[in-house]
Amino acid sequence: MKITQFDAPGNIAHGGGTCQFYNPVTHGLTGADVTPASAGEITWNGFPRKFLGTAPGGAADFAGAEPTLTSGHSRNQDEYLEWHVTRNGSGKITSVEFTCEGYDYYEFLGREAADILLGLYQKFISPAVRHADLFTGAQYQKLNRWNTADGAMHLTQQANNLFAEVILAAEATVRRRDAVGREVTAAIPLTKCSQFGDARRNSDPTIGSGVNGFARQGRMITLANPVGLYIDHLDDAGFRLPGDLPVDGWFQILRGTPAHTLRAVFAPPRGAAFTVSDVTIGGIPIKFGGQIAQNITMRLTGVASVANNVQNTPIPCEGAGGAVHTAIAVAASRLPTRGAS
Amino acid sequence: MPRAKSVARKKLVSEPLLDVHEIQGNILAGFNKDHQRLVGLRIRGVAEARKWLARILPHVSSLAEVYQFNALFRLRRSRLGRDPVCLVASWMNIAFSRDGLAQLTSDSDAAALPDAAFQIGLTKDRADLLGDPTPGGETDPTARWVIGGTNHPVDILMILASDDKTRLDSLVVQLRPAPMDGLSAPEIIWEEQGETRTDLPGHEHFGFKDGVSQPGVRGLISRRPRIYLTPRLLKAPGTGEIAFAKPGQPLIWPGQFVLGYPFGDRDGAMQPAPPLGRAWFKNGSFLVFRRLEQNVAGFSAFLKAEADRLSKTAGFPGISAEHLGALFVGRWPSGAPVSRTPGGDNPDLAADSLSNNDFLFTEDTPPPVFLPGVGVTAGTFPRAMEGSKGPVCPHAAHIFKVNPRDSATNLGPDIDTLTRRILRRGIPFGTPLTSLEDDGASRGLHFLSYQASIVDQFEILQQNWANNTGAPTSGGNDLIIGQTKTAARTMDLPSLVPSQGGEKISAPVEWVKPTGGGYFFAPSIGAIRDVLAVG
Ligand code: HEM
Repeated sequence: MKITQFDAPGNIAHGGGTCQFYNPVTHGLTGADVTPASAGEITWNGFPRKFLGTAPGGAADFAGAEPTLTSGHSRNQDEYLEWHVTRNGSGKITSVEFTCEGYDYYEFLGREAADILLGLYQKFISPAVRHADLFTGAQYQKLNRWNTADGAMHLTQQANNLFAEVILAAEATVRRRDAVGREVTAAIPLTKCSQFGDARRNSDPTIGSGVNGFARQGRMITLANPVGLYIDHLDDAGFRLPGDLPVDGWFQILRGTPAHTLRAVFAPPRGAAFTVSDVTIGGIPIKFGGQIAQNITMRLTGVASVANNVQNTPIPCEGAGGAVHTAIAVAASRLPTRGAS
Repeated sequence: MPRAKSVARKKLVSEPLLDVHEIQGNILAGFNKDHQRLVGLRIRGVAEARKWLARILPHVSSLAEVYQFNALFRLRRSRLGRDPVCLVASWMNIAFSRDGLAQLTSDSDAAALPDAAFQIGLTKDRADLLGDPTPGGETDPTARWVIGGTNHPVDILMILASDDKTRLDSLVVQLRPAPMDGLSAPEIIWEEQGETRTDLPGHEHFGFKDGVSQPGVRGLISRRPRIYLTPRLLKAPGTGEIAFAKPGQPLIWPGQFVLGYPFGDRDGAMQPAPPLGRAWFKNGSFLVFRRLEQNVAGFSAFLKAEADRLSKTAGFPGISAEHLGALFVGRWPSGAPVSRTPGGDNPDLAADSLSNNDFLFTEDTPPPVFLPGVGVTAGTFPRAMEGSKGPVCPHAAHIFKVNPRDSATNLGPDIDTLTRRILRRGIPFGTPLTSLEDDGASRGLHFLSYQASIVDQFEILQQNWANNTGAPTSGGNDLIIGQTKTAARTMDLPSLVPSQGGEKISAPVEWVKPTGGGYFFAPSIGAIRDVLAVG
């Protein structure tokens, strides 16, 4: 069944209110009015927060963030940015490929347009990719070798999908209160209270609290079209080649546009005499793709309509089995473009 | 039914006793002097350097001394209603670069200090990372620095300070290396005086009050009687919430600033002190020095021209240059926060230390709940309210960029931001510019900050936040300190008039320019005595 708008899960389940998350296709905007426009942009760092050092000055676990992967296994990179490191025979890094594309889109292609899917793999991963490498019968295998051991075509992390993003944003529009009746506003308590996303990430609490802030202002909220999480930019100010040369042309956008990049590669431009391993960041040689990811800013754009339209009362936190969770999952299961689960 | 009292009772967190005779005084107490001299030294002979260190050792001011004096100073000021001019103290602290330390100890000792930026030092590579410009088209941003960088490396940085200028002069003469320390005593390669502005005390050269907001460091000065380094005025919050010492001053575990103490992790939980590579690293702290030249005439001219332009737009009718400057900083010239007084400056608010730092950026700020019996009340100024049409304080304002307070950031939740805080000990150098025309004189800020990690604290603030249009939250560059190598810096200004669109400011030049600096380690007094001065 095609739906026109998310049902009002939390609010109705808990006794009244208007769903502040809407479908812009059917429920057109009254107009985004937040100024400046960047107020709707939510940004986060691409390197997983959980691999950062704990103590001040503690080294990040770069090796832990990018272990050797075999097919059938997803990456542990959970900031909606994943990368694959290519090395040459002598162990030097020749390129690091970054993607932030949700796997649901590729699963959709797998069902509806297998040739296009194969074409993308051949163009971006290797001309050697064969249909049989990607499919078991008619079923697209997202953890195939070309998306794990030998490349990164799209996100593999179970929670890193477009759909999860919509759910997270939708759940974050629900206002919450704690046991003593105070509205929950801080990022981590909110993430835990609403049970959206993972409280250990850079991304989820930041996205959730950004969206919830709009909800508390009484706005109607949706995600900007086209819905997606993007690579905003790489800060390469501290990147240097031998001889103090900057790395102009090394970060190449392969899909998408600047600030809305879906796929990029950090590799020597044609004719360059160096490898990625020759590049230093602030004087430290690149040994892992994660060192580059640490300098990547990610973004998604929310759209919030006129403030003070809706005054919902905050509802209690999710208990076991979370009513809002379930309600949103049910509503979402009716979305037409949903990937196979 | 009323809830049982025991439920509400808070668990007392026990705080570590600080080694007050070991920690150098400027780190946790702060000299806070009107006159301060920086002296940069290069080691020539190691034996002579050690001999000189042994000579000046009794003059290295400790936390115990500086804390006591500051407490006495505050006591006198509260009775007098003004600064007690007769109360004078003169202090000296000292810090070493990686090379300096390696010479006085060993390369492996120096290499064991836990900070990658300190290990590399503030030369070309780190300056590049910080986005420092290369004015003459050189590849090395530090090539023209007057001190530090590639061409003028400093092994030892002395910080000498006093309430009295003449006494400072004599202290400098007494303590800096002299012929009596031997022919190969450390060489003085640079000296420069910092001075509180006499025309606008406490203000930096662009005209804004500085030194308003500092984190509150946890830890005890003494166990019996129980004296906290940072006085506690506010009630402890609920579990999982950030605790504040006074309004706007969050409490932070000392391990965030001094090595060898418990620290708060990214989720706000206290963690025991991490193990140190050498026992003598304990009670030391990393020091960042940046000589930041300020182009005051250029800054004022830009504010004026841009305010003229904006004042004709629907979103910013009649905006003044002063107002625009306040939006760049996040505070008015008096120090009053824009978040609490969006329409104009309010010197009374600025003067009320229980109010001038009491604001959040994302939430309406709840009123402070003082502990019973502390005997203070905050002024009745309007509280900071989140704008329903967008942020009141621009997200690229300097004080938002370097301390986003309750806002979640690109690096995680608000509580994680506590791991980014620094202790600032800067002071202006050069004479104030009194005309609108540039007089060609060099003036600016001797920026000094102490932290347990240069990489995770100072460098995150400068590189990852101030320079980044998209972080800590989206909204443009910090137009005070942000640096970009390629594009012009931009800043998104939310409109002052509801229902009008905002503006994007584009700033083609940078008015703050690094012209010197270095990364240092300020060891404990015992480490100087038992390790550095003896070898
Ligand atoms: C010439 C350069 C600079 C000028 C003119 C300047 C000016 C100011 C002013 C006027 C304030 C507000 C007063 C206060 O809250 O104490 C401030 C606060 C602050 N500045 Fe700067 N600053 C400069 C450089 C830096 C640098 C390089 C950093 C660090 C990378 C920095 C970090 C801070 C921090 C952490 C605060 C306190 C923010 C808060 O807790 O609200 N500043 N600065």
